[in-house]
Amino acid sequence: MPVTRGRSTLGLALLMSATLLSGCASGSAAEKSSTGDPVDGGTLALSISTEPGCLDSHSISATQHQLLGRIIYDNLVTLDEDGNIAPYLAKSWDISEDGKTYTFTLEEGVTFSDGSPWNAEVLGQNFEHMRDPATKSPLAAAYIAPYVDGTVIDEYTFEAHLSYAYTPFLYNLAQSWLAMTSGKAITESPETLCQAPVGSGPFVVEDYKVGQSISYVKREGYNWGPDWLGYDGEAHLDGIEITVVPEAVIRYETLVSGQYDITENLPPQNAAAIEANDAFVYENLIRAGSPYALSFNLSRAPFDDIRVREAFVAAVDRDAVTDSVGFGTYTPKDNFLSSKTPYYDETTEGKLDYDPDQANDLLDEAGWTVKDSDGYRTKDGKRLTVVVPTVESATPSALLVQLQGEVKKVGIELKVDQYPQAQLTEIRYAGDYDGLAGVWHTNTPDVLFIRHHSSEITGERIGQNSSYLSDPELDELLQASRGATDGDEAREAYSKAQHRLLELVPGLPLYENPSQWAYAKNTVQGIVTDTSHPVPVFTSAWLDR
Amino acid sequence: MTILRRISTRLLLGVFVLWGAATLTFLALYVTPGDTALIILGGPDARPTAEAIAQVRQDYLLDEPFIVQYLHYFTQLLQGNLGESYRLRMPVTDAIGQQVGPTAVLAGTAAALALVLTVAIAVLTAQRTPWLRALVSGIEVVLAATPSFIIGFALLIVFSFTLRLVPVGGGDGLVPLILPAFTLALALVGSLSQVLRNELEDVLEQPFVLTARARGMRDLSVRVKHALRHAILPTITMSGFVLAALLGGSVIVETLFSRQGVGGLMLSSVYNKDLPVVLGIVLISAAVYVVVNLIVDILYTLVDPRVVTS
Repeated sequence: MPVTRGRSTLGLALLMSATLLSGCASGSAAEKSSTGDPVDGGTLALSISTEPGCLDSHSISATQHQLLGRIIYDNLVTLDEDGNIAPYLAKSWDISEDGKTYTFTLEEGVTFSDGSPWNAEVLGQNFEHMRDPATKSPLAAAYIAPYVDGTVIDEYTFEAHLSYAYTPFLYNLAQSWLAMTSGKAITESPETLCQAPVGSGPFVVEDYKVGQSISYVKREGYNWGPDWLGYDGEAHLDGIEITVVPEAVIRYETLVSGQYDITENLPPQNAAAIEANDAFVYENLIRAGSPYALSFNLSRAPFDDIRVREAFVAAVDRDAVTDSVGFGTYTPKDNFLSSKTPYYDETTEGKLDYDPDQANDLLDEAGWTVKDSDGYRTKDGKRLTVVVPTVESATPSALLVQLQGEVKKVGIELKVDQYPQAQLTEIRYAGDYDGLAGVWHTNTPDVLFIRHHSSEITGERIGQNSSYLSDPELDELLQASRGATDGDEAREAYSKAQHRLLELVPGLPLYENPSQWAYAKNTVQGIVTDTSHPVPVFTSAWLDR
Repeated sequence: MTILRRISTRLLLGVFVLWGAATLTFLALYVTPGDTALIILGGPDARPTAEAIAQVRQDYLLDEPFIVQYLHYFTQLLQGNLGESYRLRMPVTDAIGQQVGPTAVLAGTAAALALVLTVAIAVLTAQRTPWLRALVSGIEVVLAATPSFIIGFALLIVFSFTLRLVPVGGGDGLVPLILPAFTLALALVGSLSQVLRNELEDVLEQPFVLTARARGMRDLSVRVKHALRHAILPTITMSGFVLAALLGGSVIVETLFSRQGVGGLMLSSVYNKDLPVVLGIVLISAAVYVVVNLIVDILYTLVDPRVVTS
C-alpha cells in the first residue's frame, strides 16, 4: 500500500521561511502535566494530509485508511503488543493441519452502527464483498486471494477454506483495509458504502465532506475493543472532527497554534521544533513491511548485471542522504525488510555498505571503463544511464536529486523524469524504467513475497515486484515461508529469504518507512498506538481542556 | 424585441460553447496518458485483481472506442445525467453539489472585495502626481503578475504565522474567509484598477467634466458621480476575465487554505482522471460563464443605451 506523497505546489523557499518565522512564534507550553482520571466529552480536532475519497475499507488502498479505519471499524482479529495474532471480533480460531481450513468462533452481542448483528453469515458476506469485482478492490481482494469459500457452521462459527496454506491470512485480516462492514449494508446498499460506511467500531461517521472533513460521533454502547487497548467501553470523546490540511507547513502551524489537537502527518522539517517544544508529544514510528527503497529493474540493462546493482548501492552514502532528506528523523536502512516486521532477521544488517572504491572496481569489472567528457562511464560508446520516473511536482524530489549527486561520483548518470500520477502508473506497469522509488506497508513478512516473488511480476495481472526479480531459489524460499506455520518454522524460512535478497540486491534500501505524528501533550490523553499500523487510536482517548 | 433576439442568439451560442467545452475536455482527458482503470484501482501502489480491472473497464466502457464512450456520455447528458464519479463512487451532481456553496461564497466575497478596492484605488489615483501614480501602478503590476499562491502564502506568513490575527485554514464563518478572499481579490485588483484608471483619466479630460468643475463641484464628486459611470464600461466587459480568474484561482486558494470547494475537487479529479467529475465541473463553469456574459450584455445596454442601436 502506498504512501501518498504530498504534491506541494509551493516553493521550498517559502516553506523554509515560514518555518523559520514560526520558530519564534511557537511554544506556549502549559506546565501542568495531567495524571487525572479520564474525562468524558469533547470533540478531538485532528488534521490529516489527505483523505481517500471513499471510506469503504475494501474499496481503497490509501495510507490514511490505517488511521481512519480504526475509528469506525473493527477487525476479525488483531495483533497483540508483541505482534502475535490475538482475538478481536473472533474469540478464537482453529487452523487445520494442512493450513487450509480456518474455523472461527465469533464474539457474540456485537452490532453494527445500523443496528444489524455481527455473526458468521456477515463474516462470509465480508469475504465476498472484498473479492467481488464490483467492489473494485485495489488491495483487500489480493490479500485474501487464497480464500475459496466459507461455510456458516452455526450463528457464531464460520469455516473458511483456502486453496493453499497461507500463514499471512490472519495478519492481513488484522489490517485496516480488511475491516468488517455491516452485512446488511453490503447486501442492501453496497453502492453507498464509500460515502456512508457502516462499521461496528467506537465511532460513527456523522458527516463526510469529500476531500475536506469527516465528523464522527461516538458509538453508544461500544465495548468490544481489542485487549491491547487496555480499556473496555465506549469512547470518552463525544466525537472527532477530522480536517484535510494538505500543506505540510500549515499542518505544523495549526497544531502549534492549537487550532488542531493532533496531526496525523507531521512534516519532518518541523520535527526538531516540535520535539523541543514541551507542550507536544512527537511520535516517530516505523511501519512494518518494505523500507523506502529504489527498486532496480532487473529485466533490462544496466541493472540486469549484478555488479552494476552492487556498485550503485556501494556508491550511495545512505546515512548522509537519509539524514538530509528526513531532517535527521528517518532511520537509515541497509536491508529489505522493516525492522518492525515479524521474523525480521538482524543478522542481515551491515552487509550493504557505503564503499565508493568498491563501486568503482565493480563498474570497471563490468566493463564500464571509459569516461566521457561529462565524467560518466561508458561501454561500447553507450553511457551508463539510469532512468527513474517520478510524480511531477514543483520541487523535484529531494531524495532523487541527492542520489543523482551520489552516483555521479562513480560515473553513473541518474536521470529523473517527472510525470503526472496517471502516466506514472502506466509506466510503472509497463516496466519502462530502470529504477523506481517506493515503499510497501503491511504487517507481515509476506511483504517479501509481494515485492520479490516472480509470480508478482506485472503481466497478466498487476503485481508489486517492481524490480522484475525472478530467482528460482528465492521463489522457493518465499513459497515455503508462506506455508510455514507461525513459530520457528516460519522464522527460519523468512530468515533464509532475507539473506538471499542481500545476494540478489534487487534495489537500494534507503530508510525505514516512517509514521510521524504529534499531539498537544496536556490536552490529549489516553492515545494508544495501533499494533498493525503505527498510527494513533482514539477509543480510549480523552480531552483535558 | 431587439434585446430578446440578442438574448436568444446568445443563449444558442451558449449551448454551442457548452458542447465545445465538454467535447474538448473529453478529448483532452482521453488522450492524456495513463490507464484510467489502473488509476481508479489505486494507482501505482496497489494490487488490484484481474477481475476487478475487468469489471472497471466494463462498467466505465474503457475498452470501447472513443466514439462509443463519447456518444454514451452525451446521450446520458441529454437526459440530464452527469454520470457517477469513478473515484468517489457517488453521482457527479452530488459530488459537485457538496462543494458549490463554499466556492460561491469565496468567489462572491472576492469579487465584491475586488470591485470595492478597484473603484477606490482608481478613483483616488487617476490624474494624480506622477510618482504616486507610478508607485500604485507598479504595485498593481506586481499583484497582477504574482501567482496567487505566493500572494496567499505571503498573507499567511504575515497575518497568521507572525501576527496570529487569523487562523491558518479550514473552518466555517467569516474570519477564515478573510485571507482566501483577499488572495483571490488582490490578483484581480492588479489588472482591473489599471484598466479603470486609464479609462477614468480619459473621461476626466472630457469637456463635460470641465463643465462640472466650472459649476463648482468638488473633485471627488466629479470623479464618482460623473466620470465613473462613463469609465466603468470597459471594466464591466472584463467580467468574463474576472470570472475565469476567480474559478481558476479558487483551485489554488482552496488548496492552500484547506478550504472546501469546487477547486479542490477539480484538482483531485484531474489528477485521478475522474472524467465524469471533470466534465461536470467544466460544464457547470461554462454555463456560469455564459450566463454571466449574458447578464453583462444586458447590463451594458442599461448603462449605455447606445450599445443596442449601434
